[in-house]
Amino acid sequence: MGIVLGNIIAIYRRELQTYFVSPLAYAIAGIFWFLAGLFFVLILLGPDGILAAVANLEIRAQRFGFPMPAIDVPYEFIKVFLDRMGWLLLFILPILSMGLYAEERKRGTLELLATSPITNWAVAVGKLMGVLTFFITLILPLIVLEAMVLSASEPPSPLTVPLLGHLGLILLAASILSLGMFVSSLTNSTILSAVLTFAVILMLLFMDLVAQTIGGPIGAAIGHLSLLKHYNNMIQGIFDSSSLILFFSYIILGIFLTAQSIDAFRFQRQ
Amino acid sequence: MIEVEHLNKVYGSTSAIEDVTFNVEEGEILGFLGPNGAGKTTTMRILTGYLPATSGTARIAGFDVHENSLAVRQKIGYLPENPPLYPEMTVEGFLFFVSRIKGVSAGDRKNKVAAAMERCNLTDKRHVLIRKLSKGYRQRVGIAQAIVHDPPAIVLDEPTVGLDPRQIIDVRNLIKSLAGSHTIILSTHILPEVSMTCNRVAIINRGKVVTTNTLDNLMNELTGGSGYELELEGDAALAKQMLQNLAGVNLVESIPMLGGDGKKVLEQNRVRMRVVSETGSEPGSAIASALYQGGFSLHEMRRINATLEDVFLQLTREEQTLESHPENEEVNVGEAA
Repeated sequence: MGIVLGNIIAIYRRELQTYFVSPLAYAIAGIFWFLAGLFFVLILLGPDGILAAVANLEIRAQRFGFPMPAIDVPYEFIKVFLDRMGWLLLFILPILSMGLYAEERKRGTLELLATSPITNWAVAVGKLMGVLTFFITLILPLIVLEAMVLSASEPPSPLTVPLLGHLGLILLAASILSLGMFVSSLTNSTILSAVLTFAVILMLLFMDLVAQTIGGPIGAAIGHLSLLKHYNNMIQGIFDSSSLILFFSYIILGIFLTAQSIDAFRFQRQ
Repeated sequence: MIEVEHLNKVYGSTSAIEDVTFNVEEGEILGFLGPNGAGKTTTMRILTGYLPATSGTARIAGFDVHENSLAVRQKIGYLPENPPLYPEMTVEGFLFFVSRIKGVSAGDRKNKVAAAMERCNLTDKRHVLIRKLSKGYRQRVGIAQAIVHDPPAIVLDEPTVGLDPRQIIDVRNLIKSLAGSHTIILSTHILPEVSMTCNRVAIINRGKVVTTNTLDNLMNELTGGSGYELELEGDAALAKQMLQNLAGVNLVESIPMLGGDGKKVLEQNRVRMRVVSETGSEPGSAIASALYQGGFSLHEMRRINATLEDVFLQLTREEQTLESHPENEEVNVGEAA
C-alpha cells in the first residue's frame, strides 16, 4: 500500500511540475482569470447586473408602493457567478486534460511508465490528482472575488452556500477531467483529444436537454445522470448525497476506463 | 538470468516473432542482431513487460514476465528505441522521478541518482533541462534512466543510434563497464558494435532466431569468410575447376571486378575469384603454386578473414536466396565489400 501511495505521489508531483513550466498552463490561467474577472464585474455591476436589478426593483417598489421583497444579494450573486463559471469550464477543461496521456504516448514516455513497477491505476490516479490540483489553483482567486461580495453583505451571509458551490465546481471539474483523461488515453494527438473531450461534454449537456424534453420516468432517469443538473443543485445550496455518488461514479469510471484503455493499447499495439 | 523460450507474437494475421528461444547468463552481454524489422524491438518489449507474448514464456531472474510482471519490471532497466524523456524536467529531476517509480527506497535515491549520473557523465549537466540537451546527452540520460535503480538485467534497444563516433565509443565503453554486475541485452544493426561489446550474439531474421553463439565460434563455424581473394589472367573456368580440386578448398566463386568507382570493370581477360577454405586449413601456397604451374598469371592474392558482416549476411540471406534468384548473392557480396 505504501509503495502504491509513493508511486501515486511520484506521478502527481511530476504532473504538477509540468504545469509550472508549461506556457500553455500559464496561458490558460491568464485567460481564465481574465474572463472570471470580467464575469464578476458584469454580473455584479453591469447594466443587467444584480445591483442594477435590485436598484430597479427598489425604485419600482417605491413608485408603486409595494413592499420591497427580501433579496439575498450575495446568494444570488454566488449562484449566477458559479453557474457562469461552470459554463466557462466546459471550454477550459478539455484543454487541461488533453495532454494527460496523449503527450506521454507521443513522447514514448508511456513505455517508461508501462515498464516500471507501477500499475495503470496508480498512474491514472496520480495524473488526475495533478490536473485537479492545477484546476483548484485556477479557481482560488475566484474565492477572493467572492469574499469581497460576501464581506459587504449585511447581515453576514452563511458560508455554507458558497462552500457547497465550490465543492460542486471541483467535483464537476474532476468528473469531466477524469473522462477527458480517458479520451486522452485513446490517442496520441492532443488536439484530437481536446476536440473529443469537448464532444463528450456536449453529449453530457445534450443529455440534460433530452431529459427535459422527454420528461416522465425515462427523462428523470437520464436527468439523474446529468452532471450539470447536480452541479446546479449544489450551487443553489441543495446538498444531496446522490450528487456526491454521481460525481464520484464519473470520476471512478474515468480512472477505470483509462487504466483499461492503456492495457488494451499495449495489448494490440503494432 | 534471462530465459526466453518459444516466444511468439502475432499482430492480427502477421507474426512478428516466431519461436524465439535464447538464454543470457548472469553478467553477460548478449548482442541481439538483426536487420531492421526483424523483430528485435518486439522481443525486447515482451521481455520488459510492455507487450504480452502470444505464446511462449520469458523469465527474468526466475520471474515470468507475464505472471509476475511487477516483480520483473523492478528487476529490469529498459532503454527503448526512442529514449523516454520528459523535456521539461532537469536531468536530475527526471532521474529522481524514475528512481521513485522504479521503487528505489527514499534513503537510497540520492546515491543511486548520483551514481547513475556519474556513470553516464551527466553530473555537470544535472540542472539542465532535458529539452536543451543534445542528442548524445539525451541518449545518455536514456541510459542513466535504465540503470538508475541498479537493476540486475538491462535491455538496451539500439543505444548508439544517432550518435557521433566519439559518443558511440563513450556509450560502448559505458555498456562494457556495466557487464559483470549486470546482465545486458543489446540490440543493434551495427555490426562492429557487437564485436566490440558483446560476449555472445543472437542473430534474428524475419522473426526467427537464426543462431545464438559466441562470436569466435560463430566465425569459425561459418565457412562464409576465411579464404583468399584472387585476381588472375587466363581461362576462368579452367582455373576454377583446378582450384576446386585442391585439398583444403571448399568453394570457388567468381566475383565481379570492381573499379575505383564501384562499377564493374572488364579489363583485359582478368577475373577475380574468391576461394573459401575449409576451417583450419591453409591452402594458400598450394593455390599459388597450382596457378603458377597451370600457366596463369596471378596479379593479386589477398587473405580474407571472416568478419561478423559476412556471418550476418550469410545468416540473414539464406532464406532470401532460397526464394529468389541465386545470382543476387554475388551482387550482395559486392555491396557488402
